[in-house]
Amino acid sequence: MKKFAIGLYVAITAVLMAWGFYQAIYVAPDEQTMHEVQRIFYYHVPSAMIAFLFFAISLAGSICFLALRRSHPERAQASDAWALAGAEVGVVFCTVVLITGPLWGHRVWWGGGDWGHGTWWTWDPRLTTTLVLWLIYVSYLLLRRFAAGPQVQALAAVLNIFGALDVPIVYMSNRWWRGAHPGPVFGGGPDSGIHDPAMMHAFCWNIAAWLAWGLLLLALRYHIERQQQSFAAQQAQEAIEA
Amino acid sequence: MDTKAILDHQFTVAAYAITWVIQLGYLAWLGLRWRAQKRKAARSARNPR
Repeated sequence: MKKFAIGLYVAITAVLMAWGFYQAIYVAPDEQTMHEVQRIFYYHVPSAMIAFLFFAISLAGSICFLALRRSHPERAQASDAWALAGAEVGVVFCTVVLITGPLWGHRVWWGGGDWGHGTWWTWDPRLTTTLVLWLIYVSYLLLRRFAAGPQVQALAAVLNIFGALDVPIVYMSNRWWRGAHPGPVFGGGPDSGIHDPAMMHAFCWNIAAWLAWGLLLLALRYHIERQQQSFAAQQAQEAIEA
Repeated sequence: MDTKAILDHQFTVAAYAITWVIQLGYLAWLGLRWRAQKRKAARSARNPR
């Protein structure tokens, strides 16, 4: 039954991914000023939203770990596994954001004259805070990977909590400060929003598709971490008994 | 098709392709880790200390 449910979920995710791709490439119309390169938006923005969601899951996991580590050690270990899984999958999505954004910017942020090449990167507030967010979570993952000792999980949880503070700053950066990055898609005043229904459908389908894909990765990563924890606990028990 | 349209197309294809390479690469890496862990658990069950 469990295998069937997993298979069904994977199949639904694959269909959603294919449908989202079809909507983004073949159904959504060309944007009037940016033309075809605007289609990067259908992968870039959902990836950013899902990265934020997974960093929030990671934050919740770290807070639960710190709160439960003495009273409920087993639940704390599960929370820590969610924290690690959320951070790792969030970094994957954030990497996509940091690569697809400059690819779009290189075509759109051109310096004038003929349609040549623009700039790959500017130290715009949205770009800079996103890069800082990525660096914080990569340092969290490196800490988890290379540091040893009984306090690593607690130290990583504290780093995670401080790292997550950057998420609302990233979100608000193009509202608080002027920069080259486009304004907010939603909630940014009367000019924001997607006005073409076909574009909106493509955008929503891609959010659904990438969310389904991301949850699949998150569940798999969580499962691997729980197995790892169980194996480490078993080895520790055997070492005590020996 | 003018140069601008060709470049726009190439950059769009690159963005989509890189996204898929990153996502599928990560999935493959998770798959390898999962398999390695299953093997380790099986070995440990066969040879308990």
